Amino acid sequence: MRGFGRSCRGHGHVFVKLVRQTEQQLLERGKPIATFAQQAQARLAQTTVLPDTQRERLTHALTTAMSHHEQIRTQSKWLTQGKKLRHCKVVNAYDPTIAPIIKGKSNCPAQFGRKPGIVSEPATGFIFANLTPQGNPSDPSYGRPLIDKVQSAIERVQTGPKRQIHSVAGDLGFNDPLLRHTLHQRGILTVGIPKTIEPIEPHPSAQEVLDILNGAGLNRKRTPHQVHLACASGYSRPVVESHIASLLSRGAGQVRYKGHPGAVVQLGMTVMAHNGAVVVRICQQHLSKRAQKFRRLLGLRHRKINEINNPKN
Amino acid sequence: MRFVRYLQHWLGGTGAHLQVTDFVPVMDPIRQWADTFPWATLVSAIEQSFEKRFPTQSKRGRRPVPIRVLLALELLKHELGASDEDICHRFRTDFAVMYACGLQVYQINPSQAHFVLPETLCEFRGRIDEALMDELIAIQAAAAMEAGLVSPAHLVLDTFPCEQGSQRVTDATTLYKAQKKP
Repeated sequence: MRGFGRSCRGHGHVFVKLVRQTEQQLLERGKPIATFAQQAQARLAQTTVLPDTQRERLTHALTTAMSHHEQIRTQSKWLTQGKKLRHCKVVNAYDPTIAPIIKGKSNCPAQFGRKPGIVSEPATGFIFANLTPQGNPSDPSYGRPLIDKVQSAIERVQTGPKRQIHSVAGDLGFNDPLLRHTLHQRGILTVGIPKTIEPIEPHPSAQEVLDILNGAGLNRKRTPHQVHLACASGYSRPVVESHIASLLSRGAGQVRYKGHPGAVVQLGMTVMAHNGAVVVRICQQHLSKRAQKFRRLLGLRHRKINEINNPKN
Repeated sequence: MRFVRYLQHWLGGTGAHLQVTDFVPVMDPIRQWADTFPWATLVSAIEQSFEKRFPTQSKRGRRPVPIRVLLALELLKHELGASDEDICHRFRTDFAVMYACGLQVYQINPSQAHFVLPETLCEFRGRIDEALMDELIAIQAAAAMEAGLVSPAHLVLDTFPCEQGSQRVTDATTLYKAQKKP
């Protein structure tokens, strides 16, 4: 018998021997499934009784079941041999894209589900892009695809001055040399991503600004004013939490649609609904003092809703 | 009778014509929220994507429910925290929801139970893929940037966990699936 977990959260006891023995029996019993499935697939391909659509549907279902079975079997073998399971293990036989989301909690009940990433404007909370990956990848792996999505949105803008991303901020989880290098190559400052637990200096001196620009190799691409703004905006946990809370209030905390495609649609629609509400707040000037100041510094002005979209309702 | 349930109100109706805008105040939250979306561009992107992936084999049959209506209902569902059935029901009775869905005129027809069935909304959702979803968000972001409301100059990245909810399988769902299967 093995116990795990903190006393404050209640001990969980697992009968390891019993689990291994049961798993062994199940593996033995399920051994011929692969052969049966192959035979069924061959017969399904030859059958002429069923209509094409039904045959196609059954073939698809059988292929999916076979691939899932193989994954689960491999995982069970690891368990019976007493080996440590991989990070992204199968937790749901019907949807292998679901993964345990273990984040900053040791020996505690893990959440199972998805970990979407968002890239937003700190002042207003407008979300430029979101990403719903399969499984539970590392935080830095979100950086590049999200920035690519923002870039594609910028390319769609046809009027006005050319928009650029000046800086990107994130928590300590995004502190990755490769991500920093990629962003610097694109002319983006990474001053908002901390390297240590020490807070970022919101008002850097002239020398520090120069060091930041030289360190990123963006001395001629970015101005000291932009560095000052990047340091001032930085990464604020309460600000980001407010953006996330807005999404959670619109039902993003629980994915109700089926599978990974369903999760993509649900979170995408939630982001769009949230953005609509953000635009209403901007137009009504319902912004914090800090956000208003930040918008003034960025040269953004107040607009009426009718100017954005010519309603044909 | 089943076919009649699918009929949309703009195909029939015998009552008086009512202007939807007359019933929705300018300061109504749903109206203001709906006015922020670049509907024409969004609908055009969805139409292009659907034409490529689901080409229509024949021009026969009844007219489909407009994409504008389905997209607005799907977005409203998340904004109002409603279920498919709730939002379809509100679309039948709530003028603000009608406004958000782009309906200009409402013709009184008390006998009609639905404008859009929840199943139609579900089918529409099933056709949206990841590339299209990203495109829709990009269009919305581009519209906000063009209007000078937001700037991508300084951005914040973060992740958050969300759990997978269970699909509630009711007797009605099972019956619907059984009837649908060929």
